[in-house]
Amino acid sequence: MRRILRLSIGTLLASTASCTDKPGAGGRVLHVWQHQTGPEEAAANQQMIARFAAGRHNFVVNAQTIPQGSYPQSIMAAAMAGRLPCVLTVDSPMVPAFVWAGHIRPLDTLIDRQAFASIAPPALGQYQGHIYSVGQFDAALAIFTRRSTLAQIHARIPTLAQPWTRAEFDDVLRKLKATGRWQVPLDLGTREPNPNWWTYAYSPMLQSFGGDLIDRKTNRTADGVINGAPARAWAAWFHALFANEWARRLEPDDQSLMRGRVALAYTGNWRAPDLEKAFGNDLLILPPPDFGHGVAIGGGSWQWAVSSTCTQPAQAAAFIRHLISTPEIAAMATAAGMIPATEAAAQRTQRFRKGGDWRVFYDMSRAFARPRPATPAFTAISNAWYHAARDIMDGTDPRDALDDAADAIDQSIADNNGYAPAAEKTK
Amino acid sequence: MTPRWARKGRLAFLFGTPAMLGLITFLVIPFAMAIALTLTNQKLLSPQHVQAVGLANYERLLGLKVMRQDGIASSDGHVTFPRIRDVTRSSPTLRPYRPLGAMTWESTRFVLLARDPVFMRSLLNTALFAVMVVPLQCGLALGLALLVNAGLCGQRAFRTIYFSPVVMSMVVVAVIWAFLFNRDLGLVNQALGWLSGGQGTRIDWLGNPATAMPAIVIMSAWQGAGLQMLIFLAGLQAIPTELYDAARIDGATPLQRFVHVTLPGLSNTIAFVVVITTIAAFGLFTQVDVMTQGGPANATSTVMFYAIERGVRDQDIAYGSTVTVVYFVLIATLAILQQRFFARRAGAR
Repeated sequence: MRRILRLSIGTLLASTASCTDKPGAGGRVLHVWQHQTGPEEAAANQQMIARFAAGRHNFVVNAQTIPQGSYPQSIMAAAMAGRLPCVLTVDSPMVPAFVWAGHIRPLDTLIDRQAFASIAPPALGQYQGHIYSVGQFDAALAIFTRRSTLAQIHARIPTLAQPWTRAEFDDVLRKLKATGRWQVPLDLGTREPNPNWWTYAYSPMLQSFGGDLIDRKTNRTADGVINGAPARAWAAWFHALFANEWARRLEPDDQSLMRGRVALAYTGNWRAPDLEKAFGNDLLILPPPDFGHGVAIGGGSWQWAVSSTCTQPAQAAAFIRHLISTPEIAAMATAAGMIPATEAAAQRTQRFRKGGDWRVFYDMSRAFARPRPATPAFTAISNAWYHAARDIMDGTDPRDALDDAADAIDQSIADNNGYAPAAEKTK
Repeated sequence: MTPRWARKGRLAFLFGTPAMLGLITFLVIPFAMAIALTLTNQKLLSPQHVQAVGLANYERLLGLKVMRQDGIASSDGHVTFPRIRDVTRSSPTLRPYRPLGAMTWESTRFVLLARDPVFMRSLLNTALFAVMVVPLQCGLALGLALLVNAGLCGQRAFRTIYFSPVVMSMVVVAVIWAFLFNRDLGLVNQALGWLSGGQGTRIDWLGNPATAMPAIVIMSAWQGAGLQMLIFLAGLQAIPTELYDAARIDGATPLQRFVHVTLPGLSNTIAFVVVITTIAAFGLFTQVDVMTQGGPANATSTVMFYAIERGVRDQDIAYGSTVTVVYFVLIATLAILQQRFFARRAGAR
């Protein structure tokens, strides 16, 4: 009996001992966390890290991949336990919240600002005058379709300089529906139950209608903005898409265009490789419509940041410098088909250099990308927007749904004392 | 012989310790912490100091009010009312309230306002789910148990087949059923269309507020019934065959044998099965999270789902804790009442 007790206590001690090897504390190990991505991007990341580690013998890089669905929760839990890794990926709109909570440190105190000069703004996480995160790439949403599809209804092929107007877009949808070839002509991507996707994909449409998520001048109130007249116009249009059966609220998978279930798909550049394989020259990549206030698409994708608790800032800084070097950005763009963050890197790729067949994504990102609200309230805004947009899709009175969103955002801002910085650090 | 140190229940205490430690660490302490959290404004991701806020979270969760509106009669006698949200949002006292329901009586409208109508809706949805799923699942389980117990060939294989959904992960089952329920391509609608010869409209099972909860009920009953079937099977096999033989000699029909021998013989089993199914029903979360995310228009939002939404996804852990504490009190009250009911019935017999 006593032996069993001693044994179990021993095991207990051993397990706690292994816990002290926590990320961010060791001297010879650089801990890196990344969210789970598609296989190409994951492989590209792995190679990038391997190239970084190759020339260095005084420390090892320990990279871990965490499922994307629970990534924010994992970060939150690690932060509360004070066990964040040195280097981590963050979704760019979350940067202000992490800064506010004190989890990440400004990169421009570690690395000369000049190093970031050539990086396109959407790939930089900036807040209160500092750069906190940097990405190798940006993403862009577009309308994907087939040349033969548009020829069937004699529709004009829109260009970046002359995108479809709202009337033209509605007309295209109506005509496609009338051909009878498609039960619904458009896949908007509403099957994705992720608030940040809904904000990324549909709030730019709201901006193109002339509305917005929050008063961007102060970032203090959403009332009168997210539930203003342009927002109501957007809501009526969005609801009609589903009421007219121009779009399905729930596609069974993300292969709708590939399998010919729809004629148009609103999705990101990361789908381009598969679609190109399927359709070849028939594939068309078009800018989203201009609903009256210019074309808008979401800017900012996943980026890299350094935690405040990192004890090896020099090594972390070397890692960041490595990943934003031109060959690395170009390698990621080539391997994963993501839009390179610098023109120099774009010129080194087949696809994104001037005249390349995916240059359109690069140009759209530069011309149309709009940042999401840079405030720690982003999670509250994103959740409120997600619920409102879903309710509108499902037939709730748009005014009620938008008022709900405005109230929820303003309540969250009030609950968090206006997201004011802490008077003093709690630690 | 038992050594002296093991007497006086010390051995029982020793053997019970690991389980008690687990319960205290993972149930009692977190729950005590949750109660403490409800009295604060703790957020998951915030550098600000945590403050005690008294009962503010409870007020926000449970606040109800009735508002009276006088209609405006137009010349043709048609009565209209001002939009509720316009009234509440322009009044400082009514500002935090949102409409939950309304009743019109002649030219007056009474509006029930709630500070958190989604929570009230979730409570109602959870109760609705329990009321629908408990009879369906228990009935299905009893039917399957009778079938498997009937002595037909291959009953062992059927027992395994009926039990297999229980051992499957709920997430996997929910994903598959979401496909089955798809409006345009799902098997359910295709089968219905085939049965009706292409007549009738396609039902958007998970997209229509009226059918979303029943769809989840059907799927949950299918997934869970196997477990209750096994319990019923044990109960059935405990009924002495002499009773059936005697009934047969007396000339009882199969239906009479079921009503007068099987059901009374199963009464304790039925009580147990109803209680565990009810408890499981009140914890409904996974199916909702995977299949509908509380939609459409909050028609499938349940209390557990709402607690996670507010506590974790909105990062308002104090408020999420308040939801669970209030829910715990409600469930505990219900459990005590249910126990009294069964105890009284047992006493009456």
